[in-house]
Order: sequence, then structure tokens, then C-alpha cells
Amino acid sequence: MTDHVTTTDDAQAHPPALEMVGISKSFPGVRALTDVDLRVLPGRVHAIVGENGAGKSTLMKILAGVHQPDAGTLTVGGREVVIGSPLDAQRMGIGMVYQELNLVPDLSVAENICLGRMPRRFGVLDRRAMEQAATTALADLDAQVHWSTTVGDLTVSQQQLVEICKVYASRPDIVVLDEPTSSLSEHESQVLFDVVRRMRDRGISVIYISHRLREVLEIADDVTVLRDGHRIESRPVAGLTPADMIRLMVGRDLTEVFPKREVELGETVLEVRGLTRSGAFADVDLNIRRGEIVGLAGLVGSGRTEVARALFGLDRADAGSVVVAGRPVDVRRPGHAVAAGVAYVPEDRKADGIVPALSVRDNLSLASLGRRSRAGMVLARQERALAGEQIASLGVSPAAPERRIDTLSGGNQQKVVLGKWLATRPHVLILDEPTRGVDVGAKADIHRIIGDLAASGVGILLISSELPEVLAVSDRVLVLHEGRVAADLSAADATEAAVMHAATGQEAA
Amino acid sequence: MSSSLDSPHTASSTTPSQDTVAADRVTDRGRAGLRSLALPVGLLGLIVLGTLLSDRFLSTANLLNVLTSMSLVGIVVVGMTFVIISGGLADLSVPATLATGAIVMLSTQPTVGTALALLLAVASAGAAGLVNGILIGYGRANSIIVTLGVGTIVLGLAQAVVGGAIVYGEDPELAELVNGRVLGLVPFPVVVFALVAVVGHLALSRSVWGRWTYAVGSNYRATEASAVPVRATRAAAFLVTGLLAGLSGALLAISLQSVRPVIGTGYEFDAITAVLVGGVSVLGGFGSIPRAVAGLFFVQLLTNILVLQGISTPAQGLAKGALIAVAVGVDVHLRRRGGL
Repeated sequence: MTDHVTTTDDAQAHPPALEMVGISKSFPGVRALTDVDLRVLPGRVHAIVGENGAGKSTLMKILAGVHQPDAGTLTVGGREVVIGSPLDAQRMGIGMVYQELNLVPDLSVAENICLGRMPRRFGVLDRRAMEQAATTALADLDAQVHWSTTVGDLTVSQQQLVEICKVYASRPDIVVLDEPTSSLSEHESQVLFDVVRRMRDRGISVIYISHRLREVLEIADDVTVLRDGHRIESRPVAGLTPADMIRLMVGRDLTEVFPKREVELGETVLEVRGLTRSGAFADVDLNIRRGEIVGLAGLVGSGRTEVARALFGLDRADAGSVVVAGRPVDVRRPGHAVAAGVAYVPEDRKADGIVPALSVRDNLSLASLGRRSRAGMVLARQERALAGEQIASLGVSPAAPERRIDTLSGGNQQKVVLGKWLATRPHVLILDEPTRGVDVGAKADIHRIIGDLAASGVGILLISSELPEVLAVSDRVLVLHEGRVAADLSAADATEAAVMHAATGQEAA
Repeated sequence: MSSSLDSPHTASSTTPSQDTVAADRVTDRGRAGLRSLALPVGLLGLIVLGTLLSDRFLSTANLLNVLTSMSLVGIVVVGMTFVIISGGLADLSVPATLATGAIVMLSTQPTVGTALALLLAVASAGAAGLVNGILIGYGRANSIIVTLGVGTIVLGLAQAVVGGAIVYGEDPELAELVNGRVLGLVPFPVVVFALVAVVGHLALSRSVWGRWTYAVGSNYRATEASAVPVRATRAAAFLVTGLLAGLSGALLAISLQSVRPVIGTGYEFDAITAVLVGGVSVLGGFGSIPRAVAGLFFVQLLTNILVLQGISTPAQGLAKGALIAVAVGVDVHLRRRGGL
């Protein structure tokens, strides 16, 4: 890691790249921001942290020209400005990289990078100039992607690099990255950090929004903490600990991960032998006992999610046997898995977890509707009772069962997805990145729920890219490397070093 | 075993605070407000307009006329609502399945009797719907292409069977019944339509299958990952539309006592118009039968006013087309504002 604390003094000599002063914004019924100041220096990485609902996205949407502030001023590059639209923001040199990528999958990397400002000669597309521009952007940021590749063929992390290059190619002074690592593995995150540092070294101010405090400590030079729409603190990162930051964010002490509870382990509830899906994983053996939490670690692409999908019947396994609670199951469809008592909280909440147009209640009952019906008709009272219980026991906020689920925050949506599966009373619960993109408070809630479930005798398979989470919560850690089990570590042996060794294919140290 | 999270005994202790619920209802209503209010206001406006423009408009005879003429399309509208909410876009085979029902009804009735002929008519149209459903639900084929293709084949078959000629009925008494009024009050097709609409509404809003239909239309992948039989759910929407188009065709055949293969032309368009004007989302996941029926009523009243004003048929088409464009535009706009 480079040492960039030394740049502090001369950076402060320059005027700020961005200054937002006294920003307030209300929506009908909600006060989103109250008198927030933000000062971003040129050539610095400035992190904005805060729980969901703290006002981070509203502040960024004001910067992006999506919303107009009710009060306050914006100064970009020393000039006071009004950002009336996203196009305005772009013209003022503000580039946004959102969580949802804005790429056209059927076009090439170069076409995507130049989309919207295609170089033209005699009124026709100048392919040469386009390739040139794309190659330059890719080279500047040292992104290991070829300009001619079709974007749809790239991995998510590569697509993200393309997205960043696209923004970079528009020559911005300020780049906003919104939760850029939420779908990346540790290694991919490091690649992204290198790109961020290269932008910074070229004098670009990077505003970095993240839930992952360790990352903020690693990549950011300065940090602004928001809580309930107020700015709590702005300061250089040097000297801060994760515990300090959590205290600032939630206003109280809170352990980042909920400690594992001591649970008496019961009989084996899931037994997997030789599970294979060609091209994805091979010969996976897996045992989970009642009350046990087994972590499944590995780099993205190691086959973690693929194993989970096959166990749940979303993909077909080519070989292997699965025994749930003593009964062999042939899992060809999710219906078979659910009937056998397997539940799966998927990795991609938006694509595979929630049904956005339905209410919280309808989402909660979706997987167990059959048993809450008579003669094909839904038993409304049972359904309402179920929703009431799940909302209360999971702490879903707001406690409004009729509300559309897509109006809830990410953490609360995730609780509803969990609740949907608890309603099926599973023997085995597979959790794929259950706390991704979830704020600190909701994360602690979800860890508590996982602990309660284990205590009640459910066997849990936990997949997470956050190694500290896996290590803190699991009784045992299974490490996958290139689709094979590389290590099966007890809680005592599972150190960060041991897991990373196995995950990267090295012999155990 | 699993926790006691869904034991019904704790239900009363977990009722959410009244304040939060009330507050949320208000914001939700605010967002959906335009959508739910637009249609009633529009209907009222049309009625006022019609009354001002023509003194015949608000007569019982005229309104019963409107109701009767919307009934046969209305039966198809119920099926089309299932298709569109399930995210199936549209069933373009309706003209063919409707014609099939009509032809089978008239050509078999003299030999097998009314009841069996009706059953055969509905079943044969349903078979075409089933083929649609299997190809779209299980084969994951594009619904527009499938229903267009299946429709063309079925219509071709129908024409081959009747030799391109007109099929005539032999039962004017039955025609009297269908063209008459139940209890001397309500026209027969209106009663059938009302029944179909009520059953369809209950199925969509209260049944497990209905809930699945919404879920599949809103997020196919998440619904599949919730162990819902997504393929069957989507297939069923097309099967139902086939069955209902067959029923509608059979009634139309009895009423006219003569059928040409092109008898169903335009029914798919009218049904889709009604559903979309009713604010059912083109992209699936949102809408209801009452909305679609209100949409149909709106279009029919508009047509009626145009007819009473003596406006030409091409101009009527223009008005209807513009209406679809507006409905789709409003839908997309509201979706965006709703944060989807």
C-alpha cells in the first residue's frame, strides 16, 4: 500500500474540488438532509459512510443533478453552481459510477466507453479514434480488459472497470463511486483500489461510498460520516479505527459482527457427497449438523454460489448425492429442495430475492403459499398472521406489511427474504452473501437471526466474501478453490491467513 | 427444528404500531394516487361529455347496448389480463382461437347438440391456448412470435376445414336465447361476461395461482427461486385466454348464426387496449380484472360517443390507437416515478 498521508499539506493549499455548504433536502414526510457540509479536496479519495437512510444517496443525487437541494450552495472547482440535471453534472466534470452498471452488453468495451460521445469523421463513426480513446482510458487506469471484447462476455468485476473507464474517459474532475465493491471478491477489490488510486494520482477527486469500513480505512484519505441526515464528522482517515467509525455512524458502540453463540450440535442434517457440475465445481463433499454454521469461503469464481444453486435446484448437478435430514433427495428444481427442507437466500437480492411489485406480506408468504391455502385459495388470515410475526421477530422496519417491498431499505428487504424462507421451516438454510450492501445495524440484526436459527436446530451454510464475517460466525469453514474443496477448517484453525492460503490454491502454511 | 416464528398464537402481540401503518398508507396512496384515480375521473368525464353531446347517450337502451357489445370482448379481456400481468406481453392468437370456437360451435351443434358443441368449441380453442402456453412457459419462447405463429396456423387450419366458406347455423331459437335477456332484464352475454369477470377476479386476487401470476410478472427469477412453478403459471395464463376466446367465439357464433374465419379479427387489439387503458402494466406484475374491465368500459363509451356523433370508422381507429399510446406512456412514466 502506498503512503499518501504526506500529500495532505500541499493538497490543502489548493481550493477544494467540491464544496457543498448547508445542504438541506426534504421529501414529503421525510427530512433527508439537514445542513450538511461536504468539502472534497482535489486528488484525494473522500469516503462517505453512514447507515442506510443516513442521507448518502440523497447527497450524491444532489451532486449528480437528480435532486435539487431545498437550501445550501454547491461550489465546483471554485465556482458556485446550480446542477439542474444529470447532464449539467456531466458538463461540470462530475462522473457517477452507480451500483447498477450502465453498460450495453451486446456492444464492445470500446463502444461502451465511448457511448454518447462517439468520435466522428465526415459525420460517420471514426472507429480508429474510438479504439484509440478506449485504449488510452484503459491504459491510464491499467485496466486489464481488451477494447474489442463484448461487454456481456466480461465478469462483473471487469464490467465495473469498463464502467469506471467510461466515466474516466469523459475527463471528470470528480468521480463518485457508489458501493463499488459490493459484488467483488477480495482480490477484485484490490484491483479496483489500484484503479481508484490511479485516478487520484491523476488529480481526480474520488468520492467513495461504502459499507465496508476496512476498505474505507484502506483506500480513503478523508472521511465524512453521516447519520440521520446530519454530518457527524469530517476528518482525515489516518488514526481512525473501525470501532471509531462504527461509533460515529450509529452513535453507540456496536460490534461489527455478532459473536457466534454456543450451540449444542445435533445429528447430521445435510450430507453432500461428490457433488459435481462440469465447468463449475467437482467432487464437493459437505456435512452440516443441526445447529451448525458452516462457512463456505473462496474467491469469486471458485464455485461457491454454483454449489449453492445446485443444492437448491436452480442449476442441475451432473453427479453426486444429497441427503437432507436422513432422506436422499433428487434436487432438480427449487420445488424439490423446498419440499425436502432446504432454503436459499440468494446472492443477488434484487434479481433473485425480492418480487418488487408485491407487498412485504406477499413476499413473505411467496415460498410457503401452498401450505397457507385451501382449495387453491389463499387463507388471508393465516397470511396476515405470518406477516405480522415475521415482521416483528425479524425487526423489519417500517412494520408495514402492505407496503411494496421495493420501498424498503436493502437491509430490510434482506430481512423479508430471510423471513420468506423461515416461513417454510427449513432444515437447512443456505445464505449467499446475506449481508451484502446492508448497513451496520441491519447486519448485526441478520447475524443475530442467523445465531437464533442455528440455536433452534437449523443447519446453516454461509457464503460470504467478507472473510471476517465468515470467520466470526462459522463453526467450521470450507474453502473452495477452482471448484474443489481445498480445505475444511475448524473454527480454531480458520484464520484469515489459512483461508486465503487455501482459497488461492497454495498449500496450507 | 425450525423456530416458532410462524406459530399463529403470537399474532396479536405483533401488530405493528397503528401510526406507522397509517403513515405508510398515505405515502403509498400518494404514489399510486394518479394511477388509481385517473380511470374513474376519465370515466366520469366521458359520461358527462356523452350526455352533453347527445340526448340518446344516457338512455337505458343505449347503455345496455354498450354493455352487450363489450361483453364478448370482455370475456377475452379477462384472459388477456392474466397474460399481461404474468409478464406474457400479449396473446395475439385471439382472432384465431376465437374463430376456432365459433366454427366448432356452429359446425358440430347440429350433430352433437348445444352443450357438447359448446364444450368442444371451448376445448379446441383451449388446445391452441395450451400449445401457446407450453411453448412460452416451458419452451421460454417469445410470446409475441409464438402466439402470432400459432394463431396463423390455427386460422389456416380453420379455413381449410370450412373451405374458406361461411358456416351457417341451424338453430335460430338458440340465437334468440343468446340475443335475449335473462329474466327479461339483462342481456345474456352480459350475464356470462359478469360471471367470467367475477370468477377471474377471485382467481387473480385470492388464489395461490393468482398470486403466482403477479409474482412471475414482477420478477421471474426471484419467483422461480421461491420454488414457485413459474413455467406452469405463465402457461396457464395463455391456456385460460384460449379457453375464454373459445367461449366468446361460441357465443358470437350462436348469436350471428353464421361464421367466417375472420370473425375474430380485432378482438386481440380491443382486449389489449382495454387492459392497458385500465392501467395494467405492460411489463407485468401490476393490475387487476376490475381495472381492465373499467378500461374496457372507457374504450366502449368513447367508441359509443364517436358513433353517436357520426364519426367515421377510420377516425375511431385513430382515437383508439392514440388512447393506447397515452396509456402505455402514462404506465412507463408512473413506473419511473415509482422508482422501478
